[in-house]
Amino acid sequence: MRLRETWRGLWQSWAGKGGVGLLVLFLAAAIYVLVTYPADFGSRWWSNPAAWADNPKAAPPAWTNLWRREPWVKHLVFEARAPSQVLETANGPMSVYRFPLSHPYPGPPTFLALTLGEVTYARQPPLITVSLGRPDGRSLRLYRHMPPGPRPGEGPPFRRYHESPLRVRLSTEATTVAAVQQFLAAEFGLQVSERELLGRVDQALFGVPEREGEGVRFRSLPGDYEVVVQVSFSDRGDELGLVRFVLGGAVFGVMGTDDLGRDLAQGLLFGLPVALAIGLGAATFSTAIGATLGLLSGYAGGRTDLLIQRLADIVANVPLLPLLIFLLFIVGSNLFLIILILVAFSWPGLTILVRSMVLQMRAGQLVEAIQSLGASRWRIMFRHILPQVAPYLLAQWVFTVPSAILAEAGVSFLGLGDPSIPTWGQILEQGFRTGGVYVGYWWWVVPPGILIALTGVAFMLLALGLEPVINPRLRRIG
Amino acid sequence: MSLLRPLVARAITLAAVFLAVLLILVVALGLTGFSERVLAATVGEQLRIERATLAQTIRDPEELERALEARRRELYTFYGLDRPWTARLPQTLLRVLSLDLGEARTLRSFKGSNRVADIILERLPNSVLLLTTALVITAAIGLAVGVILATRPGSRLDQALSGLAAVSHALPTWWVGILLILILAVRLRLFPSGGMYSTPPPTEPHLRVLDLCLHALLPVLTLVLVNVGPYIYVVRTITLNVAREDHVAMARAKGLPESRVRSHHILRVAAPPIVTGLVLGLAGTLSGSILVETVFHWQGMGRLYYEAVLGTPDEAVIVALTFLYTLLYVVARLILEILYVFLDPRVRYAD
Repeated sequence: MRLRETWRGLWQSWAGKGGVGLLVLFLAAAIYVLVTYPADFGSRWWSNPAAWADNPKAAPPAWTNLWRREPWVKHLVFEARAPSQVLETANGPMSVYRFPLSHPYPGPPTFLALTLGEVTYARQPPLITVSLGRPDGRSLRLYRHMPPGPRPGEGPPFRRYHESPLRVRLSTEATTVAAVQQFLAAEFGLQVSERELLGRVDQALFGVPEREGEGVRFRSLPGDYEVVVQVSFSDRGDELGLVRFVLGGAVFGVMGTDDLGRDLAQGLLFGLPVALAIGLGAATFSTAIGATLGLLSGYAGGRTDLLIQRLADIVANVPLLPLLIFLLFIVGSNLFLIILILVAFSWPGLTILVRSMVLQMRAGQLVEAIQSLGASRWRIMFRHILPQVAPYLLAQWVFTVPSAILAEAGVSFLGLGDPSIPTWGQILEQGFRTGGVYVGYWWWVVPPGILIALTGVAFMLLALGLEPVINPRLRRIG
Repeated sequence: MSLLRPLVARAITLAAVFLAVLLILVVALGLTGFSERVLAATVGEQLRIERATLAQTIRDPEELERALEARRRELYTFYGLDRPWTARLPQTLLRVLSLDLGEARTLRSFKGSNRVADIILERLPNSVLLLTTALVITAAIGLAVGVILATRPGSRLDQALSGLAAVSHALPTWWVGILLILILAVRLRLFPSGGMYSTPPPTEPHLRVLDLCLHALLPVLTLVLVNVGPYIYVVRTITLNVAREDHVAMARAKGLPESRVRSHHILRVAAPPIVTGLVLGLAGTLSGSILVETVFHWQGMGRLYYEAVLGTPDEAVIVALTFLYTLLYVVARLILEILYVFLDPRVRYAD
């Protein structure tokens, strides 16, 4: 009943509406993450560099192109599990994969990478060739590969690259470099040494060479390219299960990447339910403990009261952060431990408040009347006093959430975060520790802070909305 | 007497806080076997020295080993290593209290010492400098702006600052510091991004002080920015409430000049709760300063936390830091409590 009134009052103010709106949004996103992400996302994906090998390192978000005069190359991933075309040749079936690649940028991609997986053959391994068609009509073969043949004692079908796919970084691959040299000699009559091509393979592939003094420079060639992967099998039934071609971008996705190539959007998204769990978990438990002890203290009186109040006095005055650092360091970092410590040190404020309210109410006539009707102490406590205190519990709950999130972010920033679960504080810590701040990787350190602040603001708005509901009651009781 | 009683009560609580933290420290150290490791290392070190001297008198290697073994048992009994950790509690407590925590693994003091006490005590003044500067500036701005705001409640500025106060509660202090580094130090190159002095530091004393001020500007600004909003809000609300009381109207009716009404009748009454506001903000400023030191490479105890966690863990340093931060907090609280007692006329004129 009291809660319904509270809710109505909350919904009346713009702050309350805003807070509830933001909170609903956050909860919806958190539920989405919980449903779609594996629980071991942290250890299996986030902390596993191999999972992010195909991403550019420290790339800003794609939308930063909006204010660039010359747009940076967007990251492109082509992945095919089935060929675009199957041809019958004299030597056997041939699968062709075509990836049309529009490249309107004035610069080359940062790298090219090819991944091949799940090869199965009966007698002879297939021959795989990758070639690039350019907008100027020229084309060149980038790469050629034949999976390892049958080993002695191994029987068909022969399976290759099923557990760990073959990953080739074409930009530094020796055969690709040789192919580019050949291409430049045949098409442009230029002899370019391997050393001169070092680190410029992508420029050569996506540009037109020009003589410049002794050396050579590449003018970029924007337009429509095409990557063609041809696989010649020797028997029907032979297979190639996975072809992935990655055009490394200079910008990436919605939130960019960190220096390991991790997609920050995913880390930030996964951090949301974690932050909410920390905040809501710590707030709920500390409110429950604080209220229970407060009720007990106020209602029992005597020695219990004195003991609880002295304890609350001491705990309320402990400087939390140093102790939190110490305990996490000595015991080892774990998310549950963080929440536990936060709960252990955030209940006293409410206990002191609830106790004083209970004392006031006990002296009032309502409780006296109920008592004379023969109600038990527990009944009075939970049926008559608790509902009166409820709005304050709500306010305390709302206030504890952001402080718990901030505390976790703080210890994470010092390097004491739970290593198996990525949080916003940890993303910030990595951005700071690796020096990302000092080279201006703002997309790495600004968004997690904004998210922490935004979560806090949502709950602060709730608190603001609750204030008019709670304050008149304060007057009525006092 | 009347002045003393409330002070003593607060002092007892704070002393209890201090003891409680110490107890948590010591019990955690005992439970995790840390104190055992420190003592065993001390014994090992002592035996190493004694082996060198004993080796000159005892030639027979077997006999030497036996003598050392006997000595080792003696030392174990002396340090209480043969008893459970609970029996060593008072001893561990004393070691923490006297900062006798042995040597740090990798961290060194600026002068090269690896004694934990040397490393930490060298950093203590830097932390105190940052913390007190930020606190004093916050209090000064909070007081000035809060009182001005109280004269025109509901104005646009007033509303904006209430909003700021609410948002500050949700902002991570250290993240604001990172933002300032990104914008003012990295992008605009107006300020140094961290550290306490330029490299090489200026040799002339007055330039050195100037250099320090330049480096302190961003960290202090960060701490003030985040803490001043809520404090202004507290001052404003308290002043506003006092200004509406009857005795202020009475003072005005007597024809006292407005400045005297404000200083003697409003602020005098509002002063104690304003100090309480500062007391409540202290814990926040303290933890804020730990992280802000980290962000700005300020060579204080907060930064030391970061350095001790990073790389090779240095437990002894962490223990000493936690102890000293608690001490710092309790002392600062006590100073503010004393201020409070002196400011509150009700305490002074009681009885």
